[in-house]
Amino acid sequence: MSPTAVVAVALLIAGGLIELIAVLGLCVMRDVYDRLHYVGLAGFGGFLIGVAVLVRESFSLIGDKALLVGVVLILLGPVMVQTTVRSLLIREFGDWRAKTRDGSDQ
Amino acid sequence: MRSTCSASEPGDLGAAVNEWEIAAAVLGFALIPCGAVALLADPPHGLAAMQVGSVLLATILVLLSEGLHRQPFIDLAVVFALMSLVGSLLFARLMERDL
Repeated sequence: MSPTAVVAVALLIAGGLIELIAVLGLCVMRDVYDRLHYVGLAGFGGFLIGVAVLVRESFSLIGDKALLVGVVLILLGPVMVQTTVRSLLIREFGDWRAKTRDGSDQ
Repeated sequence: MRSTCSASEPGDLGAAVNEWEIAAAVLGFALIPCGAVALLADPPHGLAAMQVGSVLLATILVLLSEGLHRQPFIDLAVVFALMSLVGSLLFARLMERDL
């Protein structure tokens, strides 16, 4: 097994474990704002797997696009989470700037 | 008729499943709890589960493309990663008042 293949498999395992931890966190947490933390963590797992494909295939059709998927998951994941939290705060309080969750004004 | 796929030849079981396909299968099983939360919990919790599940599914498509050696299939992963973001933003927007 070549060193490149070893690195690719190590990145694959690391990325897969991170995604499994994200799913575990999603199931264990009870508050929706806690659960949303794990969207970003899962994105990092996807990025590591994209890098694993890039290490295996070098810069080719599949390597470039796997890296693109990983970068999209990392960069757009926080945008998705922030937008979701803003919408949930509006749903809960009517205005996302109005109150914190403990009831005090910001 | 002789099969054109060498991986399905008798006695070639060592190459039948590679590490990428195993990872895709494991992550596929990880979609089950995400689906359970999305189906059984309240809509905001379901939205969080759907977002985690969409990240998992995009990764699974990358893994299957690499594992099956079908490089053009990775376009599905690229399109899905972008479109899942659009879908999540749409659900988040609807969830402000309408869901």
